[in-house]
Amino acid sequence: MSQVEISNLSKVYTVGGEEIIAVQNLSLTIEKGDLLAVVGHSGSGKTTLISMIGGILKPTSGSIVVDGTDICKLDDADLSEYRNRKIGFMFQFASLLPVLTAMENVLLPRIFAAEGGANHHRRAEEYLDALGLADKRHAFPGELSGGQQRRVAIARALINEPRLILADEPTGDLDEETEADILKLFHQLNREKGISFVIVTHSSEIAAECRKRCRMSHGVLEHEV
Amino acid sequence: MTTKTRPTKFGKLAVALRNLKRNAFRTTVLVSAIAILVALLIFATFFTVSVSATIEKASDRLGADLLIVPVGARDFAQEFLLESKQKSFYMPKEILPRVQEIEGIESATYQTYLETITGLCCDVAEAQIIAFDQDTDFIVKPWLQNSIGRALGPGEAIAGIETYENLGLELLEVEKTMFNKRFKIVGVLERTGTGLDNAIFMTETDLQEIVAGGSSPLKKDQISIIFAKIGRDVDPYHVGLDVEGNIIEVDVVTRREMGSELLRKLSDINKIFVLSTVMGAILTVFLVWAIFSAIANERASEIGIMRAVGASESHIVRLFILEVVLVGVLGSLIGTALGTYLFMSLTKSFALLRDLSVPVLSFRPLPAYLLQQSVIGVASILVGTGICIAGALGPINRIKRLEPHVSMKGSLLCRR
Ligand SMILES: Nc1ncnc2c1ncn2[C@@H]1O[C@H](COP(=O)(O)OP(=O)(O)OP(=O)(O)O)[C@@H](O)[C@H]1O
Ligand SMILES: [Mg+2]
Repeated sequence: MSQVEISNLSKVYTVGGEEIIAVQNLSLTIEKGDLLAVVGHSGSGKTTLISMIGGILKPTSGSIVVDGTDICKLDDADLSEYRNRKIGFMFQFASLLPVLTAMENVLLPRIFAAEGGANHHRRAEEYLDALGLADKRHAFPGELSGGQQRRVAIARALINEPRLILADEPTGDLDEETEADILKLFHQLNREKGISFVIVTHSSEIAAECRKRCRMSHGVLEHEV
Repeated sequence: MTTKTRPTKFGKLAVALRNLKRNAFRTTVLVSAIAILVALLIFATFFTVSVSATIEKASDRLGADLLIVPVGARDFAQEFLLESKQKSFYMPKEILPRVQEIEGIESATYQTYLETITGLCCDVAEAQIIAFDQDTDFIVKPWLQNSIGRALGPGEAIAGIETYENLGLELLEVEKTMFNKRFKIVGVLERTGTGLDNAIFMTETDLQEIVAGGSSPLKKDQISIIFAKIGRDVDPYHVGLDVEGNIIEVDVVTRREMGSELLRKLSDINKIFVLSTVMGAILTVFLVWAIFSAIANERASEIGIMRAVGASESHIVRLFILEVVLVGVLGSLIGTALGTYLFMSLTKSFALLRDLSVPVLSFRPLPAYLLQQSVIGVASILVGTGICIAGALGPINRIKRLEPHVSMKGSLLCRR
């Protein structure tokens, strides 16, 4: 059963009167439990695409139907709840709040969650431990390396147990060993919890390990087998 | 593994506090600005409310509708009764029956004021002596009833509360000499909130004896003031005019006019207060606006991140409002304390307040007084917080509208 149905999706940025077509007439289906890699040249529209799927960027036209709802038609409150509950977003760049500790950054999405749930603290600790940050729980982002910050962001994306994780170059500045660890974690979550993944990457190795691959080029999507 | 178990509750408040702590200097500037404004507001309000309440209470408590005094002594009388400045002014006693004859006057009584002369004739420090006529009196009687429950006998005197305190008459039943006559101080009156608090009372009969003995500068059959009550349905102003028209030797002050000179001064002071408070408020709004504009720009990418992980526009607004309210409430609380402290400590250096017969912060009933102070305090906190919110609302509204994707562009890297 399809989890996300994208049809005829376009995004046009207007900068100084000039139009930049970042995503053009794109259609894509993400099935439950998919592990999809998106590759493509710099500037091909990858970040733009997953930002729209993640509900942090409004498309110019087209629809994104998630679990039967077109998220392009949601109001701010519902769209925010969608981002909070259904999506785990990992940004291309470091994205931690400097005033919060690693632990608090991981727990940040809980602040905006509509319904309370138990065990976040324990779960946050578990994720941090699993990502090798057990001794950095109370460190501030400024005290962490780039790779450590990125791992905190991964734990944050997981805290609300989303059904879909959108990862924009999640291993961009990590060493190979850590990169492998993270991929292992992704595979494990995908296998054991059925979480779907869309992973934007430049690495052909990562892409090779994913079950599905597609390539973006000048805003257009080409499926690969 | 360092398991520092910190079971701190992590929520919006924690984030707001952390953000305020991040730039302690800026927070301090904001809190101080609000505090200064609220202190000014509190001070101005206390000042105004106290002065006018004191004047009103004092004139009410005298229980007379009209004060009839010798021509020219109008201000003296008010100064004595409201501001307890020692005064002596006299008119012939034969004016009393003439006042009583005038239509509309229901009852009238008189008092005679005499200043003690330390060392010469008296062993009390300088105080105003009031002789009153027990047969007609309605001014002192209620207080006398409360205090000793009977009329004053010959050779007895009773002290106003301030006199009692000032003269150190802690032990009752003391003997004092006034104008070479021995008096027994038999009690102390409750606080009246008028100039009566600063006097020592004796009966008319005793005063006549002193006058006859020649040891006072007073001549026979001289009185200082006539208090009159008027009928229920007559206009005090018209009766007053009648009295002045019929008896050229006197001036009349109606109850409503009492303290009008003070109130006029007060209203000028008030204008200055209002003007400076309004200007202060405008300045503070600008300051808050400027600071929160800077904050909103600085945190654009952080707000984008919060939006991306599920914060709605209203979450962002609430988070900022929380920060603003924390600043506003803290500033207002400090301001309220500061304003109250300033008011209490500066009371003595304002002639207008110093001269009022009632210690401004002590009038009764206490619960009503406390309620009033609390209302002023709460109102000031609301005003301070409101001003803070007013200044921050613009920047907050601007920032919440940014699309998360857009607000995150650029400076995403965490700065050290
Ligand atoms: N906020 C924006 N305003 C205007 N143009 C934008 C904006 N964001 C992206 N673009 C343009 O849209 C196009 C696609 O950008 P996008 O960030 O999606 O590329 P990408 O595939 O993620 O690139 P990279 O691999 O370098 O991250 C680019 O030409 C970029 O210049
Ligand atoms: Mg990108």
